[in-house]
Amino acid sequence: MSMTKEVVVLIADDDPGHVRLIEKNLSRAGLHNPIERFADGQEILDFLFGRGPRRRAREASYLLLLDIRMPKVDGVEVLRQVKADPELRKIPVIMLTTTDDPREVEHCHALGCSTYVVKPVDYEKFAEAIKQFGLFIALVQVPEVRALSGA
Amino acid sequence: MKRTGAELVKRRRAREGGVADPGPEEAARAGERLEAVRELHDLKSALDAHSIVAITDARGRITSVNDKFCEISQYSRRELLGKDHRIINSRFHPKEFFHGLWSTIARGKVWKGEIRNRAKDGSYYWVDTTIFPFLDAGGKPAQYIAIRTDITERKRAEVRLAELARSLVEKNKELETVVYVASHDLRSPLVNIQGFTKELKRACDRIGELMESGEATAAGQRELKTILSQDVPEAMEFIQAGVTKIDTLLTGFLRFSRLGRAALTIRCLDMNAMLASIGQTVEFQLKEAGMTLQVGPLPDCQGDAMQVNQVFSNLIDNAIKYRRPDQPGVIAVSGRSENGRCTYAVKDNGIGIAPEHQARVFEIFHRLDPSATEGEGLGLTIAQKILERQEGRIWVASKPGEGSIFFVSLPAA
Repeated sequence: MSMTKEVVVLIADDDPGHVRLIEKNLSRAGLHNPIERFADGQEILDFLFGRGPRRRAREASYLLLLDIRMPKVDGVEVLRQVKADPELRKIPVIMLTTTDDPREVEHCHALGCSTYVVKPVDYEKFAEAIKQFGLFIALVQVPEVRALSGA
Repeated sequence: MKRTGAELVKRRRAREGGVADPGPEEAARAGERLEAVRELHDLKSALDAHSIVAITDARGRITSVNDKFCEISQYSRRELLGKDHRIINSRFHPKEFFHGLWSTIARGKVWKGEIRNRAKDGSYYWVDTTIFPFLDAGGKPAQYIAIRTDITERKRAEVRLAELARSLVEKNKELETVVYVASHDLRSPLVNIQGFTKELKRACDRIGELMESGEATAAGQRELKTILSQDVPEAMEFIQAGVTKIDTLLTGFLRFSRLGRAALTIRCLDMNAMLASIGQTVEFQLKEAGMTLQVGPLPDCQGDAMQVNQVFSNLIDNAIKYRRPDQPGVIAVSGRSENGRCTYAVKDNGIGIAPEHQARVFEIFHRLDPSATEGEGLGLTIAQKILERQEGRIWVASKPGEGSIFFVSLPAA
């Protein structure tokens, strides 16, 4: 088992084209992290809260990319539920959306999103942000993993 | 013939058996008094013609009312005299309101305000009121005069204005939603067009590099093949899908905006005939889905035939689309007429809608589960808009797994 765990990137976006563009650009930026896709807010919530057919691994580190306008449950509601959960709230969340409505940006920041990116995305900056959050996760999570494996 | 004041006084004195010939001073005073009485009489006539007037004693018991008071309250003078104003109390104002009124006039101060009263037949009327206390020698109110003006029409207009303002706020909010959704939903495919055009550009550059290097290595060939057989077709597919999506959205918008302008022909609608005709149109679809459509006796309503047909066709289409595959689908249309309104229910035993999603089903381009069924997310938005334009309403009651009931209300015929 490696000491620095790989961060799994979770993408919740109902537009397959947007997801594909993110994947291609992250890979070009040298980020080859495993990626999991979710087509709407309900799917990602079911995954995170362990209700659906796909379950998250307890020991994995995640980075969550959330589109705002999605069917069933929108991204802002997913963000709210994630940040209200004592454990899930540690996951960095990047809001990815097509509107830069200041009220919405403010609302998402108030709810605790790590950053807010407006599509179309400047992928170089985006990859930098992801690298930073990914690194941050690894630093925070490593001691916990050690403690667990030592117990 | 006009008599002078002096003459009148002389005659009266003569009748009363007093001194026959009054002095000129007294005659002049009597003349002034008479002039003042006449003036007062004129003023009272003018006041009675314009205002609703009542006089009460210190305890509020009515001692005098004018004709206008009787007319507006619909009570006769006999019914009013001796009563207090509770006889016309509409129970609209809180107790504190009348406490404030009484504490003001009891202190000898004038009170002004607007009061809603109740006439004998139970109808309400509004009066702009001024109550003037008359004080006795000791400075205590001896009686009150209330002068009122009928402002019922103005009050009605105020209510209408408030309603109008409220509906404008709603309309504005609706418009904001449409603009928000439009800007988001139109940008979404644009992001793909932009992003995949860049991918194409990158592919071209890379092909150029590979060709210029002249290396015919196996790796170079493999990369070239991947670009041409996977990357380029994928990019073109997404670009094409984006263009189609934008086209669909714009067509939808056009349809939605035309609705707001189409001329309506409101007439009595035979809903039994309309539903029978819709049933014929969807007969094939129903058969294919193994579903039955039951139409109960429906009351006639008022509306635009074509547009109301569109609403019910859409509801039945939805009931077919969102059926449960594991049981025979049944759609039941029923209706009743009550208080000048007809309410119709289109009930299905389909997949239903979770409570948290029910409010959004009427939102433009909103689709709960885009992967499961076809559709552009306009049907219910259009149904709602159609009904709003002809004093109609639509709402939903649903339980996931059990089915949905869409209610439509229209003015009765």
